[in-house]
Amino acid sequence: MTPDLDDRLDLDARPLPRRVREFPFPFPTDSYRYSTNVEAAGAANPTAAGAWGASVLAVDEFYVGDATECAGLLAADPSRCQELPHMRPAVWDAVLYVLTQLERARPDYFRLEDLGEDRFRWTNRPLGLQQSFRYGDDSTLPTDPLRWLAPQVQDDLVLLDQREGALWADAGVVTAAADWSMKFDVGMSFLEVHGPVPRIHPERIISRAQDFLMRLQPGEEYRRTNWTMTVGRRLDVATETYPEWGPDRRLVLAQDLGARLHLRVEVQHLVRLPSSGAVLFLIRTYLLPLRDIAHVPQWRDRLAAVLDELPEDMADYKGLTRYRRAAADWLRAAGAP
Amino acid sequence: MTTTSLVPAASELAQADPSPTVAVTGPGLLSLRVQAVETAADGVRTVTLTGADGGALPAHPPGSHLVLHCGGRRNAYSLTGCGTRPRSYTVSVLLLGDGQGGSRWVHGLQPGDHVLADRPRSAFAPVATARHHLLIAGGIGITPLLSHARAARRWQRSFELLYGYRPGAGAHLPELRELCGPRLLELPQLPDFLAAVEARLVASPVGTHVYACGPAAMLDAVLERADELGWPQERVHTERFSAADLDPGAPFRAVLRRSGRRVPVPSGVSLLTALEGAGVPVPNLCRQGVCGECRVGVLAGAPLHRDLFLSDEEKAAGDSVMCCVSRSEDPDLELDL
Amino acid sequence: MGIEHTSVPRWPADAPPFDPRARSATVLALCADAEPVAAAWAAAGGAAGVPVSSCTGDLEQALRHLDADMAGAVVGWRLLVAGPEAEVLRVRARATELGAVGSEVLAHVTGVPSRRVLCVHCDAVTETDEPVGGTVACAGCGHDLHLYHHVSRRLGAYLGFLTDAEERDPAGAVLETR
Repeated sequence: MTPDLDDRLDLDARPLPRRVREFPFPFPTDSYRYSTNVEAAGAANPTAAGAWGASVLAVDEFYVGDATECAGLLAADPSRCQELPHMRPAVWDAVLYVLTQLERARPDYFRLEDLGEDRFRWTNRPLGLQQSFRYGDDSTLPTDPLRWLAPQVQDDLVLLDQREGALWADAGVVTAAADWSMKFDVGMSFLEVHGPVPRIHPERIISRAQDFLMRLQPGEEYRRTNWTMTVGRRLDVATETYPEWGPDRRLVLAQDLGARLHLRVEVQHLVRLPSSGAVLFLIRTYLLPLRDIAHVPQWRDRLAAVLDELPEDMADYKGLTRYRRAAADWLRAAGAP
Repeated sequence: MTTTSLVPAASELAQADPSPTVAVTGPGLLSLRVQAVETAADGVRTVTLTGADGGALPAHPPGSHLVLHCGGRRNAYSLTGCGTRPRSYTVSVLLLGDGQGGSRWVHGLQPGDHVLADRPRSAFAPVATARHHLLIAGGIGITPLLSHARAARRWQRSFELLYGYRPGAGAHLPELRELCGPRLLELPQLPDFLAAVEARLVASPVGTHVYACGPAAMLDAVLERADELGWPQERVHTERFSAADLDPGAPFRAVLRRSGRRVPVPSGVSLLTALEGAGVPVPNLCRQGVCGECRVGVLAGAPLHRDLFLSDEEKAAGDSVMCCVSRSEDPDLELDL
Repeated sequence: MGIEHTSVPRWPADAPPFDPRARSATVLALCADAEPVAAAWAAAGGAAGVPVSSCTGDLEQALRHLDADMAGAVVGWRLLVAGPEAEVLRVRARATELGAVGSEVLAHVTGVPSRRVLCVHCDAVTETDEPVGGTVACAGCGHDLHLYHHVSRRLGAYLGFLTDAEERDPAGAVLETR
């Protein structure tokens, strides 16, 4: 597990560190409600501290650490990777898409050579990996394509099959789930996956989202954000491991809130994969501790306001109930002269 | 990897012209060049297109179609390739007797000619969970099913292709025979074709999906018979092109009550884009009719709703409109701007 | 609770009618209460001249019958299944796995005397008569699970997770399994 960041920001340090500048602060207003907040992907989104989102995949200084953690988690619990039998063409489509996007994001780190006749050679310099393979031919990769791909990208992947007037979460590899379980949810419809989320069903937010996704044309890319909070710099907060991370929600109140409590933001990219027609969700998780949030006055004040105003059922669903008041107080104190 | 040529974005063309008559097209167009033409059968011309810059073309699911800009008209033609990693697009077009222009225009294309097209759109893709694919092609309806057959071979799916054609008018026969072997049934006699279709509709193993493309009468007959034989609608897929799919909308005028301005909204340009082009900013996010941000009050005139956000009651009330996708029934639409 | 939980199935009180468009049918009754419904379906099928293959029995028998029927069935076939929720979900999952689409499966749930709960920590499935929101002792690892309002159609089971996790000390490793 990546340990908590040890460095404290110099109050006068300029520019702010990358992790702050590139943080996808998710709140456009002082209160938060669920909405179908999709927008076109690929354009930089300016924030009070910098910008994020210029490319679909972001590769940062945690790449190698995250890769190691992902590989370790998959080895310890292979059920984080799920694939129903009919999804292999979609998986290959996702592999090619992700490798292409990795190269586009960091051509100095990654190279995908097209050798013709469906043959490729892939080089991943940070991980010291090189692999020749033939598109669609499982035997040319050392393991299942999804399992092979997962540690090489910092995003989680969920693949949706479109049929019978709905979308079905029929494959995915998820090692940074925010309190859900890929092995339990695999095979569910999009509406079922979001079953337990409060408010979104009567408000038709989720059925509109499904309608929107079903109308995506090949190659179209959209994005949205989601958020919660996590104690510690911990990516894996899946339901499976709740006994490991759950107690921290209580214990954090006796700890250094500024260092331990993190705002957790998911940037989700929604892509209609071009040749299989499956919808790919790329879920990238960003964590920033309160003390880093506090260094951006607009973020400090806005997050405090959101935490104060958030309705109880939503706070409860997001797991914030125990500490949200303390977090808001901490942020306000950090802003006091 | 080289990218395909794209024409300039709509933002570069958004001058408010008092009375435009030419449709302004949006971003994402493909600039293609005719590589080859050949006569595939009686009245059938096969045209192969490459990217104008010679690079890779956008991939697409099997059964996708390409909308060609045929000198003032927009016509959709099925792509015959499997779509996985295309370096060219091939369409086969039947010359229509009443020669409205589209097919005649395509039949007039010569190698080297420049062609504009929309990106491929998918409306007739194979279902991943199907246990068996029953492909029924009548005449020129073979084109998307050739695409399906290619994909089925690539992914080793069970399929059968029934191809009914008038003697001399069977296109792509050598390719089909090589691709399908015994899975292809050539049925140049109508009674044999009808008998073969009937036999399959009566006795296909559970798990089969049927995909039919051809003359409207043939499709109607397949649909009717399948329904009589208890086929669930989710198992029956037909490809028809309707004018509505390609409809860029009639031009109209947005009358802005508060400023007194009149903004023309040409065919093919969204109300939102026209307003932005006239220097009238409207809050927006998804630009797809789903998030609700671009809602504008309507004071006079009947909106033509094309969004997924407003409820049926809200649409019936007619006092607001989602300007990113919706248009106007009346020549003038008065807005609260 | 007033919240729509769309993964937890809700069942109409009345059984769906026999599908008049069916050309063949498999009718399964998974408990005694289901027999009248199954008999009505079989009678409707017979009256319409539709071949009906029936089975009254426990889940294992029903699944074997289903496998055999689906191996030879042609499109136009329907599955009609009646019984307790837990068994109906399992049968429906099996039919889907073998290639059935939604409208080919007509289900009637006679009641919910028990629920199957998957322990997300140790993967054991525990059958319980606890309600949604209740607490169940996991048959695998022995820990108390919260019976959550989230259902997997594929597993035919509800999600269960450690109910008092936040009150305990952090677990250093995966919970002990049986």
